[in-house]
Amino acid sequence: MSSRILPNFDLLVPNSTSEAVNLLAHYQERAAILAGGTDLIVAMKMNYESEILISVSELDGLDYIDFDPNSGLHIGAKATVSQILDNADVKQHYPALWQAANVFATPQIRTAATLAGNVLRGSPAGDCSCALLALGARIVLQSTEGKREVAIEDFWTGYNQNARKPSELAIEIIVDAPQSATGSAFHRMTRVNEDLAKLNGSVRLDMDGNVCKSARIAMGCVGPTTLRLPKTEKLLQNEEITPELLAHVADMVPTEISPIDDKRSTAEYRLMVSGVVIKRLIEQAATAAN
Amino acid sequence: MKERAIELTVNGIALNITVPVHQTLLDTLREQLGFTDTKYGCGTGECGACSVIIDDQESLCSCMALASTLNGRSITTAAGLASNGLNAVQQAFIDQTAVQCGYCTPGMVVKSTSLLRKNPNPSEEEIRKELEGNICRCTGYDSIVKAVQQAAQSFPESDTQWDNAVELKAGANS
Repeated sequence: MSSRILPNFDLLVPNSTSEAVNLLAHYQERAAILAGGTDLIVAMKMNYESEILISVSELDGLDYIDFDPNSGLHIGAKATVSQILDNADVKQHYPALWQAANVFATPQIRTAATLAGNVLRGSPAGDCSCALLALGARIVLQSTEGKREVAIEDFWTGYNQNARKPSELAIEIIVDAPQSATGSAFHRMTRVNEDLAKLNGSVRLDMDGNVCKSARIAMGCVGPTTLRLPKTEKLLQNEEITPELLAHVADMVPTEISPIDDKRSTAEYRLMVSGVVIKRLIEQAATAAN
Repeated sequence: MKERAIELTVNGIALNITVPVHQTLLDTLREQLGFTDTKYGCGTGECGACSVIIDDQESLCSCMALASTLNGRSITTAAGLASNGLNAVQQAFIDQTAVQCGYCTPGMVVKSTSLLRKNPNPSEEEIRKELEGNICRCTGYDSIVKAVQQAAQSFPESDTQWDNAVELKAGANS
């Protein structure tokens, strides 16, 4: 282990997606995919080794962020967190994602880190991942066999694990289109800004006046993956948002999470603050919707 | 491949170099090209001492980037900002005594220049947020923030300064 010297590997730099998936079909588990490198390079300096790295640096055309009111937000796998932050459509239509990007790591890391990389890493503390779970996203995976889409709630299969097969390349993230009155919000708790979250949460509400038609609620750092809170979501469905309802919500949230003690916080603290975080996010998302 | 031939523009000079594929940009700059103004701090993207500007505007931790994957990109280090005499940020760091041991300073200067190129008129809060990825263990941060505020008076950089930088690069590329 050295924070300076990387272990040896073979580097492959495909020029096209089809060349990349052919390489993946051939090398399978022997190859790791390198995009921004803010996770992979650090892991390789610590304890991770891969015989082959396939760099996406020269793949054409995957750095787009396109918004369409009907089909939603299409984010190429090479789009960086910094691009998310500079995108006016994201800021206007997907405030939860923008707010997550705004507190994500540091400017230097946002320049390199990709949104897709944050999702693929599958950390339960991923900020953009938490916002994407609340907003409703799909991951588009491509292999030599073709393309498939995986809903983000099915994508993380365990701590730092995901549904991507070794032969597949993530090429795009699609975020559902907002309805006429959709609001969203993201919040995270840290000791100082550049820390990883001790707890993060995100809420998307589809509103009709003050009545919530449907809700998606996500919370991170409280389980092996970022979690959706289905019972809490159900409490809100077709209900008017009142202080009494929000009190019920705040009581329900801790029953749906299973935090642990670690170096960033304790299970007890996370359980105590979780309800308040979601309650405030609902208020914020409802305001954003109207 | 274990080595790769790349084109890399460093401080306005277009270079054709061959790098080991597992070499970080930081080591390419320091060990292969002699730009020792870029510092090795933590090696894991936490401290910002190795910050460089990529493609004239955004900042990047060179300890986490592989030079072999930066074919065709342009890198500016603190030394590159001083090709026409000190830039406004460098002068302001001296004027405000925003230096003690100096180890974080090249990264701070690079990050502050990147910040002012994107946002020539930042609030104090914006300056502190943008400098979150640069750690200083000596001065505290007040004098650094004051230096950025002083330098902001000279930004946006004059057309002449940009033209010089662009001409230098064009000349080097031809």
